[in-house]
Amino acid sequence: MTVRREKAERLADEELMPLVGRKDPEAFAVLYDRHGGVAYSLAYRIVGDRAAAEEVTQEAFISVWRSGARFDAARGSVRSWLLSVVRNRAIDFLRSKAGKAPKLDFDDDSALEQRPAAERTEEEALRRETASEVRGALGKLPGEQSKVIELAYFGGFSHSEIAEILGLPMGTVKGRMRLGLEKIRGELAEGLA
Amino acid sequence: MNASGHARWSEDVAAYMLGALEPGEAAEFERHLGGCERCRAEGRWLEPALQTLPESVERLEPPPRLRESLMAEVRADARPAKEPRRGWSWGWKPALAFALVILAVAGVAGYEIGKGGEEGGGGASTIVSRQADGITLKMVREGNGGTLQLVNVHQLPPKKVLEAWVRREGKVEPVPALFVPDRDGRAETTIADMSGVDTVMVTEEPQGGSKQPTGEPIATMSVPG
Repeated sequence: MTVRREKAERLADEELMPLVGRKDPEAFAVLYDRHGGVAYSLAYRIVGDRAAAEEVTQEAFISVWRSGARFDAARGSVRSWLLSVVRNRAIDFLRSKAGKAPKLDFDDDSALEQRPAAERTEEEALRRETASEVRGALGKLPGEQSKVIELAYFGGFSHSEIAEILGLPMGTVKGRMRLGLEKIRGELAEGLA
Repeated sequence: MNASGHARWSEDVAAYMLGALEPGEAAEFERHLGGCERCRAEGRWLEPALQTLPESVERLEPPPRLRESLMAEVRADARPAKEPRRGWSWGWKPALAFALVILAVAGVAGYEIGKGGEEGGGGASTIVSRQADGITLKMVREGNGGTLQLVNVHQLPPKKVLEAWVRREGKVEPVPALFVPDRDGRAETTIADMSGVDTVMVTEEPQGGSKQPTGEPIATMSVPG
């Protein structure tokens, strides 16, 4: 049975997932409305093209629709799981495009052409605040650490590829990844204190 | 895990979480992770930092047509809840049960064949089978062997592995290399000899593998001769 939209909107993500697993379109629509914006934004950040970001986002959500029953709440939130699906699809997309280099906008000029999403809910506002803090945390990293993290996470490069790109020993690249993530984690912990 | 044993891996935790290890390194690290509480604890500590990375991107408004297109596909696919699947009696005469599952599942799992000769060289071919529960099974055949790749595999319970099986001339044989899905649900193993194989199947088995399938297959593929 399909739940009514109003009922679905009152459910937490973790409560929506079993309904999505049972092929409930209304539950899925609520999930998309909550996370479609950030999913599309992440896809765009990785593939650097609006049409491709649209394709990647659609594929990722269809994958979630078809495999929703596989979500395991013990392993994290629905949002982080969904975004990991989007990220993987986007990286696959990049790799499938022979000769197409991932978007590596360290200066992030693209932000100038981006329109902000409408602020729909208090939750979204909180997320934006968190995202702003995270951008701050990334921004506080030494460039050498943020660069290797961005190349890996948003570029889909392996540590050995990054070492080659930057002309560094592989151990140095791994070390900078660890130091960078530890520093972000430390910033988050301080924020919670 | 002693301190010196851990030290070798400590730099790999962040690289693994960022998806930056090479596939072979990632599989090796996952094996280590199973027995190293220090690495698991470090991963748990760093996880919130990783989760904030996608949240750090500048927000864009997705085009309305994306939602429309998505919902059109979803509504077309929506159907009443499926009946619970009946249990399989693998404990009793597993080889016979295997044959029955093959007949049942191979009949509904469509496959596509794509020739990848130009890219793979030496006449490589690829078979893709999309399973009913979201798993995609892909067999890249090259020469006499093949690589079996699975996408969208659920995370395994502790002390469980994936084991592949082939049916050759009516006889079910285990594939020696056991494997596990990575954190993104991808898993891969190699089948050295594909000659005479008409069906490939993957099951979840206890650590160390089994001589015969002990559970319901999570994926099955018919292999054209």
